[in-house]
Amino acid sequence: MKKIISLTGGLLISLTALASETPPLLDVELQHDTATLRQGADVVLNVCAGCHSLHYLKYRDLLEVGFTQAEVDGLRGQLEVTATIAAMSPPDMLKETYGVVPPDLSLIAKARKGGGRYVYTLFNSFYQRPDGTVDNHLFPNIRMPDVLGVASMTDPAQKKEFQESMRKVAAFLEWAADPNAAERRGMGVYVLIYLFIITLLFWLMKRRIWSDVH
Amino acid sequence: MSKHPVVQWIDRRFPFTAFFKHELTEYKVPRNLSYWWNFGFLAGFVLVLQVVSGVFLAMHYKPDAQLAFASIEHIMRDVNYGWLLRYMHSTGASAFFVVIYIHMARTLYYGSFRAPRELMWWSGQVLLLTLMATAFMGYLLPWGQMSYWGAQVITNLFRATPFIGDQVVVWLRGDFVVGDATLNRFFVLHFFFPFLIFGIVGLHLVALHFVRSSNPSGINLKDEDNISLHPYFTFKDLFGLGIFLLIFCGFVFFYPDFFIEPDNNIPADPLKTPPHITPEWYFLPFYAILRAIPDMLGGVVAMTLSILVFAAMPYLDRSQIPGGSRYRPFYRAMFWAFVVDLSVLTYVGAQPATDEMALVGRIATIIYFSLFMVLPIISKREEAWLFVRGLPQEVMAMIAGEKESDRRKRSMDRRKTERRQGEE
Repeated sequence: MKKIISLTGGLLISLTALASETPPLLDVELQHDTATLRQGADVVLNVCAGCHSLHYLKYRDLLEVGFTQAEVDGLRGQLEVTATIAAMSPPDMLKETYGVVPPDLSLIAKARKGGGRYVYTLFNSFYQRPDGTVDNHLFPNIRMPDVLGVASMTDPAQKKEFQESMRKVAAFLEWAADPNAAERRGMGVYVLIYLFIITLLFWLMKRRIWSDVH
Repeated sequence: MSKHPVVQWIDRRFPFTAFFKHELTEYKVPRNLSYWWNFGFLAGFVLVLQVVSGVFLAMHYKPDAQLAFASIEHIMRDVNYGWLLRYMHSTGASAFFVVIYIHMARTLYYGSFRAPRELMWWSGQVLLLTLMATAFMGYLLPWGQMSYWGAQVITNLFRATPFIGDQVVVWLRGDFVVGDATLNRFFVLHFFFPFLIFGIVGLHLVALHFVRSSNPSGINLKDEDNISLHPYFTFKDLFGLGIFLLIFCGFVFFYPDFFIEPDNNIPADPLKTPPHITPEWYFLPFYAILRAIPDMLGGVVAMTLSILVFAAMPYLDRSQIPGGSRYRPFYRAMFWAFVVDLSVLTYVGAQPATDEMALVGRIATIIYFSLFMVLPIISKREEAWLFVRGLPQEVMAMIAGEKESDRRKRSMDRRKTERRQGEE
């Protein structure tokens, strides 16, 4: 009996320890309409892509989130439309500066538990230590600098604008990781309706066939 | 019914119509089968689904350490409906295990593994092992972090082989570490093993159509209580398939990443071990047993035994009372205890290895093996207790009938040998 008590106690302790390890992700509603994705893409391509590549995304894919052909041509310059989006700074230089090559962003929403919510929470988790250095609650000792200066942001209006912008970035990164999601869900509705009807028909036929058995 | 001339032509050369008659329209199945008997058919369906989606995936996949991860993304993004093929295949792997585990649970619950169905149970056991091997090798192919490190950990277990451990590991990997050679051979074997599975499924079905289906009562039904497979059970199976597909497609179209670890969306990196390596959910209970034993060889032996021990069930269960759990309260209690224990092991297998988790894992492992070990004693005692307490009439008749036919057969054999000896 004593063992059981100590065991459940131990379990509870370990569970709370697990819970306190990573702070909970912020609850955020992400919209995936073209306008939102387009605005998110602008931030990602102009700010994030300075250091981060998006290797599984091609320039041509941007047409799907509201970029015009002329805009895409402007972005790609001499590159092919099928070229993948590389970071603006060369990886070697980035490695020298930060110690690691910044992770590719095209699958980041799938590679982290919570997807877009993780991305959104990460940006909101920068804080200033008493000594003035910046760290991150969600990812302690993160090597990415607080690019947008959220840790020192005090103006509520400015903060609100920042969060709005990050919501769009998170939405765009979710799209980048799974560009067929909308098509998939749309098709899924029809598949389930079809299956529901055919299952109902099978059930009616089965009942009819079995009516002479019962 | 007049037959089409082509069918007539074939029938003179090949038992085409006779086959369908014998195996479908005139194959008799107990009428009282519950929906738990649908899962064998479902397993066959998922097998075909996996083979078909897998063949198409293989047309675009590249088994090369440099290209594998990107080729999956190519399938997901550029191949028309490639995402559908890939999600059907990845969800299908989990669905396969769900269906097979329910199929096995039904067999255990109703005692369907008992005479004369031991060969069905054992061919099923071989199928389970082949399926596990196929799933394990398939999991390496996306070449993500979990793929890579899972394969690294599991192939490393073979180091526990006495005397030649190190050589066995190199032989399996084709290299000193999991690398390009491993990926290439796992791809070849992942493609090849389903052929073996099809063969064994054939044996499984031949045995089934010879001994016929068991049924929830555990008693062989009278002839009038057996009805033909088609159309009765074909339509019952189709209805079950509809329900299965509704759930399956719910995952494929709305939660396709439910069964994919986030870490597996990061390309394999031999220099960076993920903080917490977990196998796929269907291996978790066995992984928990592996980790419960502090010694590596002991752990590997315990894990292997935990799967192979099922084969001994026809001998461990010594009760003559038919119907598995139906008439046997102790066996039923043990069945549910086993299900709970397996759930605990699954949970423990998914947790980081802390001291508390190791203790829970050890207790659950002891319970796991104890249930098998005490079964011969409990089943015999339970039988005696139930005979005193009284069983339903038809069950007693069934046991008496079995004994009677046994005696008759033995005396017939004796007379035959006596006659042969007299002739000599």
